[in-house]
Amino acid sequence: MKSIVSAVAKRLATTAIVLFGVSILIFLIARIIPGDPARIALGPRATVEQVERMRETLHLNDSIFVQYGYFVGDFLRGDLGISLYTNRPVMTDIAQFLPATLELVLLAGFFMVSIGLPLGAIAARYRGGWADHTIRIITLLTVSAPAFVWAVILVLLFSYYTPLFPIAGRIHETISIAPVTRFMLIDTLIAGRLDGFLSALHHLILPAFALSLSGIGQAARLTRSNMVEVYTQPYIEMAQSYGFSERRIASKFAFKPSLIPSLTIIGLDFAALLGNAFLVENIFAWPGISRYGVGVILQKDLNAIVGTVMIISATFLIANIVVDLLVAVINPRIRYAEQSD
Amino acid sequence: MRDAPTLSISDLTLSFRNWSGVSQVLHGIDLDIHKGERVGLVGESGSGKSVIARIILGTLHDVKGAQIGGDVRLGGRDMAGMSKSERGELRGTELSMIFQDPTTALNPVYTIGMQFLEVLRRGDSGMSAEDGKVRSAEILGEVSITDVDRVLESYPFQLSGGMNQRVMIAMALVNEPQLLLADEPGTALDVTVQAQTLELMRNLVEQHGTSVLFISHNLGVVREFADRIYVIYKGRIVERGPTASIFADPRHPYTKALMAAIPRLTGGGVPDIAEESESFFDPMITHGEAPE
Ligand SMILES: Nc1ncnc2c1ncn2[C@@H]1O[C@H](COP(=O)(O)OP(=O)(O)OP(=O)(O)O)[C@@H](O)[C@H]1O
Ligand SMILES: [Mg+2]
Repeated sequence: MKSIVSAVAKRLATTAIVLFGVSILIFLIARIIPGDPARIALGPRATVEQVERMRETLHLNDSIFVQYGYFVGDFLRGDLGISLYTNRPVMTDIAQFLPATLELVLLAGFFMVSIGLPLGAIAARYRGGWADHTIRIITLLTVSAPAFVWAVILVLLFSYYTPLFPIAGRIHETISIAPVTRFMLIDTLIAGRLDGFLSALHHLILPAFALSLSGIGQAARLTRSNMVEVYTQPYIEMAQSYGFSERRIASKFAFKPSLIPSLTIIGLDFAALLGNAFLVENIFAWPGISRYGVGVILQKDLNAIVGTVMIISATFLIANIVVDLLVAVINPRIRYAEQSD
Repeated sequence: MRDAPTLSISDLTLSFRNWSGVSQVLHGIDLDIHKGERVGLVGESGSGKSVIARIILGTLHDVKGAQIGGDVRLGGRDMAGMSKSERGELRGTELSMIFQDPTTALNPVYTIGMQFLEVLRRGDSGMSAEDGKVRSAEILGEVSITDVDRVLESYPFQLSGGMNQRVMIAMALVNEPQLLLADEPGTALDVTVQAQTLELMRNLVEQHGTSVLFISHNLGVVREFADRIYVIYKGRIVERGPTASIFADPRHPYTKALMAAIPRLTGGGVPDIAEESESFFDPMITHGEAPE
């Protein structure tokens, strides 16, 4: 237990260092993009004096080092500045848009694990049989197209030709829910609106599924190949020699060891969902942070760009820590590594 | 039926069919093991020792392309008439097996205690975790493990090879099987550890009255362990009889060649006999049973 706490502390420290690096990088990149942010924000009709005044308040006339100094100072006080795109504090924007993305990504991740792993395990258990072949073909198909292609296909099939799912938005427009956590599934429950919850889920399923499809395939294929390898191990022959049923051998003795090599990669795939969410959000008009990110980049909204990238990187890094913790839970060798040496 | 031998094999044949044709691996094996008897099966690599064990265990029946002929009876019951699940019922309860490398034969992601509990539940599906622990501790005590609690909470990679070997022996015997199959047990361990654990195993099967089929490369070990020996060459039993009698008076040309080669060895394994001789295919020789 103590070793886990110290391991997490170590990881958090590294995360802070990585974030520091990211901040420098994105700070520079945002300022390399062509265009004058003040001019874009004020529009073509603003006078030169107005633009100059704005540049002054944004510290754009100072050297980049001074600008970065201002940024770090504000950042440490939890202030990411004002977005020129929405005219609100960037923090407020993030608080509004991030939960929508997280909701999408978390459900997609859930699909990835709860569909992908069992599919892989079934394929491995019936390796060489028809179930295996079917699963391998389907998963090959799902990994061979990126998430946004799936999004378009699914929208066409299940929203347009057969209107089973809504095309856009997070909840039915007649339902209004007071934002608390801004996770729609949670807020509807807080408000005691079961109809709202179901509507939110209904809106969420298709984009989350589109986002997760290639991850499902990836997880299934990885699990299959690892588990097929596990089946050649002496401990499986040992389990067979004890007469455990094929089913029990698959679910208990072969599945868990097969997770160890794949979990880290599945974890990375999960984190990558955050990046893929970007096009899926645009296709489903999903009011998430990725769509916001695209908007602010096009507007050269410096504060918002830096804020968005920082928050997405932080989410990514935290997701990685969580995955590593899960790996440690499943793999006793990692859990005991620190004690034994 | 009361006096039926624990294991009785007659005219056992095995061939594997694959794309390149049929290859026969066993050519009519006869082998009996009586209650409480320890029988050694010795032969060079590829002679068919492990496939015999897997046929007795009933796992080879499910391998694609394996064609099994002849008669295998466990306690008088004919295995040929059994369904897959009936064969499965016997494993872990009346039959159990010990493998070559204890560390890779134990599951890496479960503690020894959890693995014990699974095995115990093969015998008694309602066994509670507490009862399981008590029973495991008891049998681990019988293989001279003193810090039982630590061992039960450990994962295989946290224990030494010798310790895992004891665990595996204890696990194989915890459900009081009629017949224990040991396929080159502990060959992966170093020689002194192997000798110690075999000694423990010998005492344990003696106390429990378990019959054993002991497969080994190591003539020296077989001599220590087995009451009776079968020598197998290319899927045929070439000589059989009481251990002392075979060692005192090997009569089949292949057995003679084996014995003659021992002094040249350091590790005590089955030597590779370079020159093959037609005489190795001579008819089987049976030594008279030693007077009781
Ligand atoms: N599944 C299989 N398919 C085809 N041939 C097989 C199969 N299993 C075993 N054999 C063949 O059967 C023969 C006997 O194998 P077996 O494993 O019983 O030998 P062994 O006496 O145990 O040898 P070793 O001492 O090396 O363990 C070998 O020639 C092997 O190639
Ligand atoms: Mg073998």
